[in-house]
Amino acid sequence: MAIPGYSYEFKHTHLLSIEDLSRLDIEHILDLAEEFAEATRRKERPEPHLKNNTVINLFFENSTRTMSSFEIAAKRLGADVVTMPVAQSSVKKGETLIDTAMTLNAMAPDAIVIRHSASGGVKLLSRKVDCAVINAGDGTHQHPTQGLLDTLTIRRAKGRIEGLKVTICGDILHSRVARSTTMALHMLGAEVTLCGPATLMPKGTDTWGAARALNDFDTAIDGADVVMMLRLQLERMNGAYLPSQREYFRSFGLTAERLKRAASDATIMHPGPMNRGVEIESAIADGDQSVITEQVEMGVAVREAVLKLLSGRRT
Amino acid sequence: MKTLIRNARLLCPANGWDEEGALLVEDGVIAEIGKVSGKADETIDADGLCLAPGLIDLRVKIGEPGAEQKETLATASRAAVSGGVTSMVVMPDTNPVIDDVALVQFIANRGRETSDVRIYPAGALTKGLKGEAMAEIGLMSDSGAVFFTNGDLPVADPSVLRRTMGYAASCGALVASRADEHSLGKNGVMNAGALAARMGLSGLPREAEWIGLARDLLIAEATKCPLIIDQISTARSMEMIKAARTRGVKAYASVAAHHLFFNDLDVGDYLTYCKVNPPFRAEEDRQALIEALAHGDIDAVVSAHDPQPPEEKRLPFAEASFGAAGLETVLSALLVLVQDERLSMLDALRPVTTSPADIIGLPQGRLAEGAPADLILFDPEKPWLCEREHLRSRSVNSPFDGRRMVGQVMQTFVGGKNVFAR
Repeated sequence: MAIPGYSYEFKHTHLLSIEDLSRLDIEHILDLAEEFAEATRRKERPEPHLKNNTVINLFFENSTRTMSSFEIAAKRLGADVVTMPVAQSSVKKGETLIDTAMTLNAMAPDAIVIRHSASGGVKLLSRKVDCAVINAGDGTHQHPTQGLLDTLTIRRAKGRIEGLKVTICGDILHSRVARSTTMALHMLGAEVTLCGPATLMPKGTDTWGAARALNDFDTAIDGADVVMMLRLQLERMNGAYLPSQREYFRSFGLTAERLKRAASDATIMHPGPMNRGVEIESAIADGDQSVITEQVEMGVAVREAVLKLLSGRRT
Repeated sequence: MKTLIRNARLLCPANGWDEEGALLVEDGVIAEIGKVSGKADETIDADGLCLAPGLIDLRVKIGEPGAEQKETLATASRAAVSGGVTSMVVMPDTNPVIDDVALVQFIANRGRETSDVRIYPAGALTKGLKGEAMAEIGLMSDSGAVFFTNGDLPVADPSVLRRTMGYAASCGALVASRADEHSLGKNGVMNAGALAARMGLSGLPREAEWIGLARDLLIAEATKCPLIIDQISTARSMEMIKAARTRGVKAYASVAAHHLFFNDLDVGDYLTYCKVNPPFRAEEDRQALIEALAHGDIDAVVSAHDPQPPEEKRLPFAEASFGAAGLETVLSALLVLVQDERLSMLDALRPVTTSPADIIGLPQGRLAEGAPADLILFDPEKPWLCEREHLRSRSVNSPFDGRRMVGQVMQTFVGGKNVFAR
């Protein structure tokens, strides 16, 4: 879509937070990701954009889906991928994150994909390396590729983002997905409602771009075009944040009954992994309105797009 | 030995002086002030610079003994003199904890042997700072401990605190306490609020300070024990202390200089140099603390000097240690407020000179005949850039790193001896 006198270039060196992106950046990533997704559906192999590139997957926190999603995306583009789960890394032996960064940097990778348990940890590492750094989740701060894949999934399901009512329900306080997805959707013009128990709702969600923050799910879901349920860590339901699992389900579980309040064609999402019967009824998760598996599919496509855009950034 | 400092702007909060004049030092003591008649062996032309009492800092953490890689009394002294600090009270949370007479004497002796400034030990309020059994407050007091504190972690059990403060009062001892209900915000790393939530960091709520403060003030009232409230950080804390004072509670309030300068937004991009406890609060709190200072409600401004080496700060924010190096920036932080016309010069100097001296009963901290000649000459308008590479402390974890400052010490004297010249 060339406009005379106007040119766009993706200028970022790293992908650390949705906050660093403009609306144009996001739309550009989504357009590219959609091309990758369509190619995959046609069983076409994309151009080997990352041929001769080395991508390191460095996961300080356990992850199956995000780690394999990045690995598959990088391999599809022809990269050499080294995946390092934390159990085998020297961090367990007391090496600091910065020392790890400098060690890996000396091996001259082209991109490092990193997940770390500390908010801001990925950014700290990015300052010490010469290659592209992609945040695959840092503490309770950001998970930008998840925000992008959620946005792409919604755009494909609804044909637009502008003006959509999106309700995100669950443990907002500890969710980096809620932060990234809310920011991305807000930037593209959606009206985002966040909902959760008072103990799991942080202050100031308006600064993320959320239109409303509610404790009553029935109100929050009213007329929603998209309903996204978040995973609730079971250990938070032992009395510390919530009295019990069944009490949570009573107020915040997505049931067929509750779903009737949403728009009749509401799209159902979940970033996974799901606690079936805790935050969502199985029948809904597997039902026609659910795009949960498409989220996983778009995850690979978005990561292909991000890896391609950030390739060749090594200085 | 007589030294004359002439052509100076004499500043003394004790008697409200702010006038041109001279000062004569004889054998380490101030001999004459104003128009000096005596003859001197040596004359210093101050060339219009400000001459004030050296700063008295009621809260300095040192790594000696036990963590000398962070700071020793000698390295802290080097930093102190360049910041105009001539007396410092060092905290007992070292390794070992300063909780008995021998250790109090060790600190005092090491101070005399290795440091150019006057070192006053604070004693541990409870043995090992464990908050369980009271330390030997009476004996340590006799050996020179100027007050008693449980350090960064206040005594959790109110019954222990009540007995200990009651006992301290009977010994005529002074207690200092961080107002903090530690169980609130146990994992907190910055001010609780919208910014912490957005950054995905656990918060330290204001309520933790208020609940801790309410308890400490009530116990001070019940035991009649004089109490220094160590480093308040919120507007409401000041209101609570003022209300307690009207009930006759002897409650002194201190504030750390960095809390007059920064708010929680300064944590910005996970800057671990801005990770302190109490945390930088909202801008309203910062403004309220400056107002309180201007009204004379705050008794002491402290550096809260807490040196942390790179291995404690070059970490993800949640994992980094709390603490800021502060000895070299206390005076400048106050002089910036003077420059901005938020404080008068004497109101800026009082909480770092006369007032802390009076709280712990020191003769210095004033320009008075017979007082120790602990003096600073400073240029109140000199602009400078605070850069960690140029700080003298062994650890340079200053939140002021990279900031433009106004006002700098040019010369420092302790007991009449020139210990620093820029």
